[in-house]
Amino acid sequence: MLNYTVQRLIQALVAIFGVLTIVFVIMHLSGDPTLLLVPQDASAEMIAELRHQLGFDRPIWVQYIDYLHGLTQLDFGMSVVQRVPALDIVASRLPYTIQLAAGALMVAIGIGIPSGIIMATMRGSAIERILAAIVVTGQSVPTFLSAILLIFIFGVTLRWLPTSGASELRAMIMPSIALGALSMSTFARMSRIAIIDELGKDYVRAGLARGLSLGQTVFRHVLRNASIPVITIAALEIGNLLAGAVIIETVFAWPGIGQLAIQSIQSRDFLVVQVIVLLISFVYVLTSVLADLVYVVVDPRIRLVR
Amino acid sequence: MEIHPRPLLSVEGLTVEIAGANVVDGISFSVAPGKVMALVGESGCGKSLTCYAMLGLLPPAARRSGGHIRLDDRDLTALSQRDMRKTRGKDISIIFQEPSASLDPLTTVGAQIAAAYRTHHNVPRAEAHARARRMLADVGIPDPDRRFHQYPFELSGGMCQRIMISIALICSPRVLVADEPTTALDVTIQAQILDLMKKLVAERGTSIVIITHDMGVVADIADDVAVMYAGRIAEIAPVQTLFEKPQHPYTALLLASIPKLSDAPKADLATIEGRVPTPNEFGAGCRFADRCPLATEKCRAEQPPLFDRGGGHRSACWHIDRMAEIREVAA
Repeated sequence: MLNYTVQRLIQALVAIFGVLTIVFVIMHLSGDPTLLLVPQDASAEMIAELRHQLGFDRPIWVQYIDYLHGLTQLDFGMSVVQRVPALDIVASRLPYTIQLAAGALMVAIGIGIPSGIIMATMRGSAIERILAAIVVTGQSVPTFLSAILLIFIFGVTLRWLPTSGASELRAMIMPSIALGALSMSTFARMSRIAIIDELGKDYVRAGLARGLSLGQTVFRHVLRNASIPVITIAALEIGNLLAGAVIIETVFAWPGIGQLAIQSIQSRDFLVVQVIVLLISFVYVLTSVLADLVYVVVDPRIRLVR
Repeated sequence: MEIHPRPLLSVEGLTVEIAGANVVDGISFSVAPGKVMALVGESGCGKSLTCYAMLGLLPPAARRSGGHIRLDDRDLTALSQRDMRKTRGKDISIIFQEPSASLDPLTTVGAQIAAAYRTHHNVPRAEAHARARRMLADVGIPDPDRRFHQYPFELSGGMCQRIMISIALICSPRVLVADEPTTALDVTIQAQILDLMKKLVAERGTSIVIITHDMGVVADIADDVAVMYAGRIAEIAPVQTLFEKPQHPYTALLLASIPKLSDAPKADLATIEGRVPTPNEFGAGCRFADRCPLATEKCRAEQPPLFDRGGGHRSACWHIDRMAEIREVAA
């Protein structure tokens, strides 16, 4: 089991290193970053001057070493627009995104998993069909459209909820629903499939044969067995939520890192964008490591064999 | 003549329907206390469905369309779902063909045995655990205290079947249904499991209904045998009578197809020509007629009833006066 944990951590480090490298390469593939930073009418000398100042005239591998070295010092460079460390800018916006992602995850898991359980165990019932319709809707309506519809219905027409901003707690209701809808559908579909898959197994029939009801069998045995594929999905979905926040935060004027990403792209503040990209990538890696560790708790076959 | 004690379990005219076809068609048999009844037949003859119908656990596509299952004085088919649940695992239990798959992979085997007890008895966890440990010892699991805390994947198939037997018997049921309990196991383990089942029958007086297609298993454990063919009972008899003097061509051919040590080395194995008819091919006559060397027009036109041959022996054939011909065919 220790082996397994160490193995997973090493894999995670390799993945992170890969992400750092890919981000660096993409930044430099897109051309000389100096050109992004100077005004259009800058002279060739000004450009050369700035290029030298920023170190972009050095060989690429020197820049790469320098970049990695900076990261070990938590130095992600300065925002070229605001002249403060890029990390500080992202850090100041991060709590909003965490709050929004948590809300969305609550919507996704809190509605998705119970829906999956009901759809799997009450096949052919009216409630299954209603839930299936909701799931298909959540899955197929694009996020930007559902966000605008929500604003139109609950913000503009009914005036129940604020249309934008993060000034009060209930302002997060609509963005959480809009952001969580797709994940909710994914959780519902995955848990439904996982449970149906488990319901066909022999141990379920054996549970019924010893006098348990179907509900007891589901709650005592099936859910735990079905949770293994769902944990995998949960890990991916947390990363997806952060990525999805880019659109939702823009639509709802929510001051998190998604909105910051769009603003930074527009103002060509590429070091801030880089921090956000790295952050989202780290979250993907981190959640998949966490999922691997949760398997260990749930499944004795992983705990005891490896 | 032997006096037959009152049956503990009786199946009366059981009929199971799938998509309008009677895949189990008017099956009747009974089991006395402490006796072992074997249901024998090829795959798809309806023997497993008969078992599941006895526990009220038919798959969703199948439906019991007629007949009764009596356990003592109770008609199990008349019970509510709730009462049937209270009966399952307590008065009538079942063990399956794939013991490893029949256990929850994420729970220790000890906890699963204890949970089976607590399903029907409102006792503290500690007491159920103590009973589970004793049960593990009773089914011959060495080092029960260690095994108690192990997971199914850590145990062999034979061990898992012992665990299944523990789960099935911890509430001391009157009847144990065993659906091909040894098919998935090694031959040496098969013998151990059968011995264990015989021992438990002797000690506890539990009646067993065992499903198998293995005549060796039948000879080893059964008191009575019902040979099933295409959803009906072809022949039913005390085990020795059946082996010595089969009164149905199918049984006779089945017995003749068992390889013997006296056979010439590498001789072709005896087979029965043709195949079992599917439910929509069932005609009015005997369902074995197309494969039967004795078949006549009458066989194809009219289903033979289960004629009483005396001594608890019954068989559904019009032509047992010609059984000698079968022995020639088979030889």
